[in-house]
Amino acid sequence: MTKLRLKKINPDVKFEVFKYVLAFVMVTIIASVLISFQGEEPSKALSAIVKGALGNSYAIGNTIRWTIPCILSGMAAVVAFKSGVMNLGIEGQLYFGAFAAGVVGYIIELPPLLHIISCIVAAGIFGLLYSVIPAILKLYFQVNEMITTLMLNYIAILLTELFTVWVMGATAGVNPDLLATPPIYASAKLPVLIKGTQGNAGIFIALAVVIIVFLIYKYTIKGYELKQVGENLKFSKVGGVNVAKTFVSIFLISGFIAGICGGVEVLGTHGKFTSRFSSNLGWDGIMIAMVAKNNPFGVLGISILWGILKCGSMAMERVTNTNRLTVSLIQALFVLFVTVDYKKIAGMLRDKFGKKKLELSGEVK
Amino acid sequence: MENMENVLEIINVSKVFGSLVANNKINMTVKKGTVHSIIGENGAGKSTLMNIIAGIYKPDGGEIKVKGKTVHFKNPNNASDCGIGMVHQEFMLFDDLTVLDNVMMGRERTKTGIFIDKKKTRAEIQEICDKYNFNIPLDSVVKDLPVAILQQVEIVKVLYRGADIIILDEPTAVLTPQGIEGLFNALRFLISKGKTIILITHKLGEVMEISDYITVLKDGQVTGNVLPSEVDEEKLAGLMVGREVLLNAQHIEKEIGDEVLKVTDLVVQDKDGIERVKGLNLTVHAGEVVGIAGVAGSGQKELVEALYGLNPPVAGSITYKGEDITHASCRDHRCKGIGYVPQDRLGAGANRESSIWENCIMGYHVAHGFKNKLLLDRKEAGEFTGEVIKDFAVKTPSQESKVRTLSGGNVQKMIVGREFLQKNDLLIIEDPTRGIDIGAIEFIWQKILQLAAQGVAVLLVSHELNEVMELSDRIEVIYDGKLTYAGAYRELTEQQIGLLMMGGKAVDKTQIKKD
Repeated sequence: MTKLRLKKINPDVKFEVFKYVLAFVMVTIIASVLISFQGEEPSKALSAIVKGALGNSYAIGNTIRWTIPCILSGMAAVVAFKSGVMNLGIEGQLYFGAFAAGVVGYIIELPPLLHIISCIVAAGIFGLLYSVIPAILKLYFQVNEMITTLMLNYIAILLTELFTVWVMGATAGVNPDLLATPPIYASAKLPVLIKGTQGNAGIFIALAVVIIVFLIYKYTIKGYELKQVGENLKFSKVGGVNVAKTFVSIFLISGFIAGICGGVEVLGTHGKFTSRFSSNLGWDGIMIAMVAKNNPFGVLGISILWGILKCGSMAMERVTNTNRLTVSLIQALFVLFVTVDYKKIAGMLRDKFGKKKLELSGEVK
Repeated sequence: MENMENVLEIINVSKVFGSLVANNKINMTVKKGTVHSIIGENGAGKSTLMNIIAGIYKPDGGEIKVKGKTVHFKNPNNASDCGIGMVHQEFMLFDDLTVLDNVMMGRERTKTGIFIDKKKTRAEIQEICDKYNFNIPLDSVVKDLPVAILQQVEIVKVLYRGADIIILDEPTAVLTPQGIEGLFNALRFLISKGKTIILITHKLGEVMEISDYITVLKDGQVTGNVLPSEVDEEKLAGLMVGREVLLNAQHIEKEIGDEVLKVTDLVVQDKDGIERVKGLNLTVHAGEVVGIAGVAGSGQKELVEALYGLNPPVAGSITYKGEDITHASCRDHRCKGIGYVPQDRLGAGANRESSIWENCIMGYHVAHGFKNKLLLDRKEAGEFTGEVIKDFAVKTPSQESKVRTLSGGNVQKMIVGREFLQKNDLLIIEDPTRGIDIGAIEFIWQKILQLAAQGVAVLLVSHELNEVMELSDRIEVIYDGKLTYAGAYRELTEQQIGLLMMGGKAVDKTQIKKD
């Protein structure tokens, strides 16, 4: 799956395509049932999603808005997972990145492009710094990164909230929903692509990240090492790869991208850092990376689908009686259907109900 | 032989993988109460055939008859129900469980269908052990036991599953001469009790010694169904490879140079903190092949791990060309020109999920090639991979093929090729020919000697005594974490060295582990 060149369609690729199609069909059927339960016609609700996501330029703009964080957090996850690092801390790293971007965005005024770049870099560095903690714990104390990154998410969310309180000079009594840094300067705002929507130039940053990561894996020695470390740690170590260094760099890169994701959210959509702003964007990234089987371009495709579903589900809720959470449920089911090992299940079923149509003709083609 | 029952008949069985015909109309008849050996080179289709018989693969054509009845196995359990059991080359045991748990796994006797009846199960297993003369400690944890015992555990496991036909895949690859003798005695005993053995092996001497019938495979076809009395080793080898093979390495005249590796008072602990290497001294000179023979588990693994920077020693020093490398990393070793062929082929030697070229440039990319340290030069990678494939006759459709599609012998050729073709000054080689065919063994042996003749220092750690004896200029025996000098090339006999491997004490056929 890592190769995108389809010189000839081999059975593996065919099977993968079949898998995604099957997942899509199954999810559509389940969605229809769920929508029917809520007293709505499935066709109406589904067309509302499509219309709401792609029906007009306004809709497309908002789909782009949701696609951006999906791509970036998805890439943060891909970088980690591909090398066997279970970074579940994308959400936390994203918060730190967003906070850094929010602060740099309002504290100084710079020429437009420079301001954006400094905000993004600051966001990346903060995300990176926050991922240093689990990296060190893993490296020197052999603490499983799944646990540390997971726990550090909560710390990040609350810590950035505390920082925001300090920045605001507010007291502890403020409603957490209103906690936010001052708005960023216009010079730090990412340009809007389609007027009246939130679709912004962050999409180019996201695309650049996809391409850079793809190029790193395909054309650099470091990328080769990263992949080998993920697939067989001992082999890489014996082969002379500096595993400890590689491990840390994976954490840092993943954290950097997660930070950028948070930064782009602030600069492109919110215009300020709001505490608890992320609606599980980091977790979406992890799901997307899994569905995309850690393929950078797969992340791009799945993110667009996710963007469509996110944007479309809101539209669906507006025009029909269907609850928007139905879509979240469907997304989760999609992940499940794609990650199922069908070959194994097929094998088990065959064993159990064994069809006796073994063709033993004695001929070799 | 006329009146013996045909317990297994293979009629025109074929199996195709993609464009590769692994088995082409194989015909073979196995008679009850015999040892039937199947020999052939790597990729000759032996393992495929056995996997078909054991129900792991489905044949694309042909017929299998067990005790006269045609069978269609859907999975290994079907085969097991028909009395066919297989002992794989790589043992299929759970390291952390006891022998008893491992044997009963999947076939537990239960009380009222819910609770495991350990007592009854134990009694049954003990009965099997007694009946067939296996002396294995049922309550020991598998990872603490030596290989020879584990093999017996595997055999008991298939017996417990009611096997009448036992397939053994390369069973002698991991055993000492004494261990092999013990295994053969056990096999003879099994036959006397009416069991049938199908033996897959590369070692012609063993084939001649134990077989009642021999089937030779070459390129997926049967090239001979013979009796041992009709043939000799050379003729068998001829049937296997279609040419004469001499299993003696041809020594090349060469000069021994400066000291390259020097190990002083080395002490190494394993993961559990148990001392495995106990004050070991060793030197290897340029152009010299030093062979370390020993029973598995005598400290070879820990010694090599320490030498290659995988597990730093607790005491002692290692110097390479006068430079201290006691605590150097694997990467340092690579950069200094030390190559390593690990025993753990698929764990440390190769990455199954990656392509052949990605496997071939591992190590090379750090130390030898690629002027540009940032970008991966695919052309150079392809050239080096091509060299490995060509020089070491790796059978593969393309450089892009995944390593998991290669047979074990081909993977080994690829690993050896990769390490040999890099310009290293010291090579640490562990079991370079384990489970590969005679043609390839001869080839790799010759390559090792050629390398040494070019001035490369070679440390050969092998469980194959014959290999150590044929290749080494100097032989050391490792026993209980210490080395004993065992003479120069052809100074001591196999029996004398074998005795040293057992600690110089009387030969103990069951090989109780001495810690």
